[in-house]
Amino acid sequence: MDKFYMVVGMSIAYLASFLGLALAWYSWRKHEKEKRQ
Amino acid sequence: MTVFGFLDWLWVVLYLLIMVGAGVLFYRLGRRGQSDFFLAGRGLPWWLPAASVYATHTATDTPMWFAGVVYRYGLAGIWYSFFAAWCAISAFVSTRIFRRSLAYTQAEWNTIRFSGLGAELLRGWMSGWQVFMSMFILGWVGIAMGKVCQYLFDWPVWVGLVVFSSMCAAYVMASGYWGVIMADFLQGVIAFAVILIVSVWGMLAAGGPSGIIDKLAAMGQSSRLNPFSFSGWFTGDFPIAWFLTMMVIALLGGFGMGTSIDWYVEAQRIQSARTVRDASYSIWWGTALVLMRNAVWAPAILGFYVLYPNIQDTKEYEMAWFRIGFDYLPVGMVGFFFAGIIAIHISTISAVLNLGAMYFTRDLYLHYWKRTATETELVWVGRLATLVLLIGSFFYGLMMEEITSWLIFALWIMAAGVWLPNILQVVWWRFNAWGYLSSWIANLGLSWLLVWVLPSFGVIPELPDYQQFWVLMILGALIYVPITFLTRPDDLDHLVRYYVMSRPIGWWGPIRREAQRRGLLARANA
Repeated sequence: MDKFYMVVGMSIAYLASFLGLALAWYSWRKHEKEKRQ
Repeated sequence: MTVFGFLDWLWVVLYLLIMVGAGVLFYRLGRRGQSDFFLAGRGLPWWLPAASVYATHTATDTPMWFAGVVYRYGLAGIWYSFFAAWCAISAFVSTRIFRRSLAYTQAEWNTIRFSGLGAELLRGWMSGWQVFMSMFILGWVGIAMGKVCQYLFDWPVWVGLVVFSSMCAAYVMASGYWGVIMADFLQGVIAFAVILIVSVWGMLAAGGPSGIIDKLAAMGQSSRLNPFSFSGWFTGDFPIAWFLTMMVIALLGGFGMGTSIDWYVEAQRIQSARTVRDASYSIWWGTALVLMRNAVWAPAILGFYVLYPNIQDTKEYEMAWFRIGFDYLPVGMVGFFFAGIIAIHISTISAVLNLGAMYFTRDLYLHYWKRTATETELVWVGRLATLVLLIGSFFYGLMMEEITSWLIFALWIMAAGVWLPNILQVVWWRFNAWGYLSSWIANLGLSWLLVWVLPSFGVIPELPDYQQFWVLMILGALIYVPITFLTRPDDLDHLVRYYVMSRPIGWWGPIRREAQRRGLLARANA
């Protein structure tokens, strides 16, 4: 394994950030739907 | 391999009992709710968060990389640590603006400063990033401790990583930020004493200040005493262009939020201070202590250089300060030194554990997942998040091969492409959520390409770090400036509310006039 670690490490970083982003999007949609009802 | 006597182990055991005990003592205060578990009820006098800023920014890997640059460049290497000077400006600019906003985290501040879907996505993005980043920092600080223990006792690397972080997590889970801040104060005092004693000891072992100067002159290395010994405008390994870039990053960076990785830790300390003035003093004094610490370390490393001038291996001379302590201190004092190293180590671990747990609990869990969560529930979520971060950090730590290359890259991606957007969000009303979010996403991609991918495929040459900064800044701006102008400004009511509460400086004319028109700025109308 060579300094592979960089790719793995950064992929986890992207994944964590995009998971946070996806959670925010899901939450926003839910609140918009509740507001309309 | 170092052999510990009875007195040495006595120091270490006593010290650990005091540390963990001091943290657990505040269990009753920490469990009252999220405000106590993450901000100590926002009631701290300035000297407590100041000690915590200092203790947190002194980690086990700090003397390694600092010894590395001073051994390599002489006193000029101190400039590598001068990035911290952004705090001297921030203490009176962005620190005050952030404290007035009452945001727990930088992610939450995004939804106070920006509005609409963009602000929410930004908050989610940043809290995801910060939870990951905390794990990453815990891993790299932890593995540094693992290496110190391997150097000392021949323990496998994972032992030093796991044992001390786990002890620390015990009191962080029990009492949250109350435990962190009180233990940090004790650890800060012990760490400063140990750094002073060991460094003076090292200088004396090398013949004292005049002895070091004479020996350097005899070796033809007097230039190492000159902090301005540049290698040319653009050439060599210490060019003037690097120095000027560093000064721009540090001094103008004080107007922004997120100027370096340190901001996120400091934002928690800023918010835990009891007044805006206490917040200012805590950041200013905490950073002043960091720079004083470096001034004590540097001559000791020069002393090590005159004793062992021809070490070629980076990993070996990065251990310079540790070698001074373990090779030259008398038996009985070595245990005291090791207790000091543990203090340096767990003060950083505790702060980052609690910070990552705060982003998870306050932003991801409470704001996005369950807005009806009770205070007791939030404290328990905070404790669980602390445990998950701890376990995650073990995996990250064991993945890291070289501390320095990871450290430099992580610092860069946090500093380079988002340096200007970090300032713009504070000083310019028109910079909106979409502009800032696009600058972050673009920066992660661009820095990865420019620093690692393209050079390794030979598409572009490997640029010096200061050139990477300017290239990333310009390339990023080509993306986020058009996006800012192509999308609508943030909601006017939202901006007026933010302006009245936080009183930002800079280009806020239209918002200030609107706030005056609504009669919300009493002083301006008087």
